[in-house]
Amino acid sequence: MTVVEFLAQAEDLVSPGLSACQGCAAELALRTAMKVIGPKSVVGIPPGCVAGFGAPGWGLKTGMKVPVCMPLLGNSASLMSGIKQAYAAKDPEVRVVAFAGDGATVDAGFQCLSAAAERRENIIYICYDNEGYMNTGFQKSGTTPHGAHMSTTPSGSCSQGNAAFKKDLPLMLAMQDAAYVATLSVSHIPDFVDKLKKACEVTDGLSYLHILSPCPTGWGTTPELSIEYARKAVETLYFPLYEYSRGTFTISKPTLRAAAKAKPVSEFLAGQRRFRHLCEADALALQEHVDRKWGILSRLAG
Amino acid sequence: MARLDALTGNECAAQAARLCRVDTVVGYPITPQSSVVESIAAMVANGKMSSKFITPESEHSVMSILKGAGMMGERVFTATSGQGLAYMYEPYFSMSTARIPMVMALATREMISPVTVWSGMQDAHSVRDAGWIHLYAADNQEILDSIIQGYLIAEHPDVIIPVHVCYDGFYLSHQTAEVVVPDQEAVDAFLPPCALTQMLDVNDPAMVDSNTPGDLMMEYREDHLASMRRALDVVAEVDAAFAAGFGRSHAGLLETYRVDDAEEIVVTIGAMSGTAKDAVDAARAKGRSVGLIRVRCLRPFPAKALGALLAGRKAVGVVDRSVSFGWSAGIVYQETLAALGLAGIAVPTLSAIGGLGGADIREEHLARVLDLIHDCALAGRSRQDAVWMNHELLSAQRR
Repeated sequence: MTVVEFLAQAEDLVSPGLSACQGCAAELALRTAMKVIGPKSVVGIPPGCVAGFGAPGWGLKTGMKVPVCMPLLGNSASLMSGIKQAYAAKDPEVRVVAFAGDGATVDAGFQCLSAAAERRENIIYICYDNEGYMNTGFQKSGTTPHGAHMSTTPSGSCSQGNAAFKKDLPLMLAMQDAAYVATLSVSHIPDFVDKLKKACEVTDGLSYLHILSPCPTGWGTTPELSIEYARKAVETLYFPLYEYSRGTFTISKPTLRAAAKAKPVSEFLAGQRRFRHLCEADALALQEHVDRKWGILSRLAG
Repeated sequence: MARLDALTGNECAAQAARLCRVDTVVGYPITPQSSVVESIAAMVANGKMSSKFITPESEHSVMSILKGAGMMGERVFTATSGQGLAYMYEPYFSMSTARIPMVMALATREMISPVTVWSGMQDAHSVRDAGWIHLYAADNQEILDSIIQGYLIAEHPDVIIPVHVCYDGFYLSHQTAEVVVPDQEAVDAFLPPCALTQMLDVNDPAMVDSNTPGDLMMEYREDHLASMRRALDVVAEVDAAFAAGFGRSHAGLLETYRVDDAEEIVVTIGAMSGTAKDAVDAARAKGRSVGLIRVRCLRPFPAKALGALLAGRKAVGVVDRSVSFGWSAGIVYQETLAALGLAGIAVPTLSAIGGLGGADIREEHLARVLDLIHDCALAGRSRQDAVWMNHELLSAQRR
């Protein structure tokens, strides 16, 4: 069965008619991920866009066809650990999944995520990274890229936007020797599905999947270009796709292809409202950051 | 057979968790409760207790893991103190409002700043409106027994609210006392196996903690308050059932001591109550008509019962190991005023504050408080500002 056939026949475990923005990559990521993870699963969706657009439900109506709860912003990995450990005694095959934004993952939730990885909790932790607190009005998060104009790092006469650089959580969790770490893009669905399947097979620790999730509303792009921006992030090595498992880094095929003739990061930046104020020096700083990170990763993958 | 032992308050809490056959314990160290979770870890490591024992990176995660396990229908336990309680406040509040019953031991502690690790009740009293049931123990036996009672209260179908059993840090947590440890069969006969709802079930999918509109939120809070009200009866009933089964009562909601004919009343909470009874005896020996009421249950607050006990008295004083910022008073004092107001009782009152940050409350402090309560009775007026027990004793001694 091809990936397309698989996705066509797999049940959509997310309710129709949720109120995500047009072109939201996180909704696509959730629906696709859940098709792979399947109905024998419990999902936690902390505050963020996906919780805001109704996946955990509204009032007495649920937004998912599997059991779902809404953790606090900073406790997803802990809450889901408690559920998984309790479920392990009843039915070890039930998959326990956190589907959390970057704020709930790399900022408020990082401490407990790191601890869950350290304890080898057998949960699947998926971060949809739209590079900011998009649900609350596009504030800067720990994964907001350098230079981005956000509502708490606005560009202005005294500011060139976000002074910090994007925090690299997948690499940090790999350094912690989490059981399985991978980066995923909605522009490369066969790779995306393959990595989810691998995460589901892990039985002895935490799987961490980091998905770059273009956000037309926050990035200032048009909805039909979300997949395109995800693709550009891969092709410019802004967001390299790779896996880590048991001491080994493996660069994924789409990124190996891209690295052979990597496009400049400026191609990813072009057309995004959050970057339109950037001067050449800022763009260069971003390019240098991407080059440096890619250098680290390619050396690790040896 | 029940066993007579010499145990610290923290060891009592750990023994109680074992006897209650909890499924999961999540432990994180904080003074002065650390030896609760250490004792449990040791029992699990040596096969004397079959619970899962999980060691996360913070109290925030402690309560979060417990909430996950609780949503799965497990019986769970932990212990905390002071800053740990403050750090777990976010999941702590959501534990009660998600209506997940559990019991937590709370070795009470003063709050920072400035830095302190010592006793006080500011931690527990500051969270009295976070939806939990608060029981306060007066001695080590009561810690052990209240935790066993706590699960029966928390899991009672009319309640379904978590309970914390509070006890004075160091004074009870670290002091050794004679304790009867009940045998497992007796506890099993008293406390049935956990039969809580599994909220998250792949065979019956549902959501927990969805975004909730205000009118529905109002229903949830109204139901929580109604359950709290029913818990007043349940706390008393469970203590009575415990007394029938084990031959010991902890007085249900309120303990009374020499109150029948007393014109003046001192209201206490926690471990100071034993010393206060000695002070009452000494005052009685001098011909003073005084009695004591100990608040065992602060939430739900037994306002009606307390009001009935305070009717017809000439003066009432309350001793607190906490302060209410913005009032010149302690927190149990405010609760007492509310009960008096509800009952329409006009009586001279005073608030005495002592024992903050590990300061001792000695019998002489309490004797001085009883004198000041007597002054209120003679003057027929309430004291407007709190009595700071350390200052008051010094100035009384200088006089």
